[in-house]
Amino acid sequence: MGSELDERIRANLNLYAVLQNLEDLVQLDSEMAAKTKNWDVTIQFSVNGGPRAYLAFKNGVCTHGRGRHENPSVKLFFTSPKHLNAMLDGKARPIPLKGFTKLGFLSKEFMPLAGRLAYYLKPEGGLLEDENFLKINTILTLHTALFAVGELAALEPVSKHLAAHMGDGILQVEVPPEGPYVALHLDHGAVSVTKGKADNPKARMIFKNLKVANDLLNDRVDSFRAVAQGDIALKGHVPMLDNFDLILDRVRAYLS
Amino acid sequence: MEAEVSPPKILAEHGEPVMKTYEYKESLALFKRAAEVIPCGIYGHYSPAPFIPVDAYPFYSRRGEGARFWDVDGNEFIDYMCAYGPMVLGYNHPKVNEAYQAQIKLGNTLTRAPKLMVELAEYFVDLIPMADWAFFAKNGADVTNYATMVARSATGREKIIAINGGYQGSAAWMQAIGHPGVIGDDQKNIIRVDWNDYAALDRVINEHPGQIAGFIATPYHHPVFADSEWPAEGYWQKVEKLLRKEGIVLIIDDVRTGFRLDMRGSSEYFGFKPDLVCFCKAIANGYPISALVGTEALKNPTAKVFYTGSYWFSAGPMAAALACLEELRQIDGPKRMLQMGKKLCDGLVDIAKGHGYTLKATGAPSMPYLRISDHEGLMFHQDLCGECTKRGAFFAPHHNEFLSTAHSDEDIQRTWDIFDDAFKATKQRYGV
Repeated sequence: MGSELDERIRANLNLYAVLQNLEDLVQLDSEMAAKTKNWDVTIQFSVNGGPRAYLAFKNGVCTHGRGRHENPSVKLFFTSPKHLNAMLDGKARPIPLKGFTKLGFLSKEFMPLAGRLAYYLKPEGGLLEDENFLKINTILTLHTALFAVGELAALEPVSKHLAAHMGDGILQVEVPPEGPYVALHLDHGAVSVTKGKADNPKARMIFKNLKVANDLLNDRVDSFRAVAQGDIALKGHVPMLDNFDLILDRVRAYLS
Repeated sequence: MEAEVSPPKILAEHGEPVMKTYEYKESLALFKRAAEVIPCGIYGHYSPAPFIPVDAYPFYSRRGEGARFWDVDGNEFIDYMCAYGPMVLGYNHPKVNEAYQAQIKLGNTLTRAPKLMVELAEYFVDLIPMADWAFFAKNGADVTNYATMVARSATGREKIIAINGGYQGSAAWMQAIGHPGVIGDDQKNIIRVDWNDYAALDRVINEHPGQIAGFIATPYHHPVFADSEWPAEGYWQKVEKLLRKEGIVLIIDDVRTGFRLDMRGSSEYFGFKPDLVCFCKAIANGYPISALVGTEALKNPTAKVFYTGSYWFSAGPMAAALACLEELRQIDGPKRMLQMGKKLCDGLVDIAKGHGYTLKATGAPSMPYLRISDHEGLMFHQDLCGECTKRGAFFAPHHNEFLSTAHSDEDIQRTWDIFDDAFKATKQRYGV
């Protein structure tokens, strides 16, 4: 990886698949909930030749959105997708275009929040043995994966081809009964993602528990074996499930 | 072809399901052992994954007899998958087994080619009108792959046209882009067009002048997870004419359909003449052998293409093939399977109708693709097939079913009874 297209894909994954997790993080992690409770700030990320997204914090709620916010309090500009990716790897700095007075907030308040996200998404040691950590990690990883599938289906040639063969309708990925539930909405190869239960899914991938979901998402389990042993139940339109699994493999390669 | 809906012969009785259902404890225990030492536990087309719901199906079989097999838990099934097609006369068929055993006593894989190979090739040439020669291998993909090599050798061209959603085996070029282990270069010379789309085929040929070596397709379209599609009126005749004009080799993949439509090959059924035809599944009632047959014009180009395998000269399967094909010919196996398949499908359609549902049966009745069409997606149909299987009628929810000449009226009556009870159970689950 490293081509212009790969950088663009990574930038989209970072802004649209990874960053959206902050919505859930401030709800799931009590420390982060307390930290962001009184924030009233909107951060716009704009990448030249790449994605645009914003994060709005208000009344203890974080909202992630694609595109341009009407009135952000901070505007961060990146000269290229590569620049954004380098910043997220800790190897570059953004160019602030608005909100110079908030730069201290960014480094002292926002970056620890981003660091907390990395703490959950890249667990070290035996953290996954903790039940609550496992739950948060699984929810965030699942959301990341599904949003990333949508991005790859839009940008990456092989994933585009696979998505085009998934058929139209809804694929729901779920860990019943408590969740999470996430739905991929497919329409002629275009993929969008919603959190929560969906009506009338055409295909369902049902995990027996959070541990099984976590193992599959992190490629620690043979999915065929898990299906045969009843740890993962599949229902409905199999090409949708098959091609989803194939794109998921490619997501892992990009996010690794 | 859709099965005709005839007046209900069986009136579905509404109410509670009453049949006892199977459990698969031994299958699951065996699978757990397998998963430790075999990738996926069970790989390839025998993988449990597409048999949804997985817990409705056995994983392992112990024995078979006639149209039935028994799993490792001792459960008995009327088999509508027929080992994905190879079982065509019924499991443990005495004539085929005797021929095989007699040859095995003489020798199987010996140092020089078996005499039987000549007899079998002569048999194919006599049986299949378009065939001037025959070549033997083991699996369907051996000969579909070889056919493309022959086409390339004969034409000096590189590209092969295939059908979207068609299946010619599991070699890298035959798989879809994006599957693990398949790289872009594997697909570089494969161009896919939609089934029955003559205009697309014509366009692709025009876009690649002098580059197309062959066109490979099944006699009718029988994809997985989707209805089968018959060739449009005149399709094959137009295709044959176009390919002749362009010097492109017409390859028919008769691996699944061969000897279930017509003993002379499915191209005879549809009235056209291919250059190469690939046979496999129904040749020897489960003994491993496949065949590529071709026209005189392609005999020398084929002779030049080196292609072989360690067990391709085993005499036992050749003896089984001679016995199986002769038995199929004598009893007109394809006609019997088409008739019994139609009878089965008509009854199933009627029962579904009695329950207020539409069962769509497409493809040849000897290998029908079945689908409850009232629900979008396959969930209801998957549950229905699972309930049937748990009651002793093995139906696949993702693939066409198969009939054999061993399926009897009693088997079909029993299947209808099971289907009715399974319908009640499935409706109960869906609250309807």
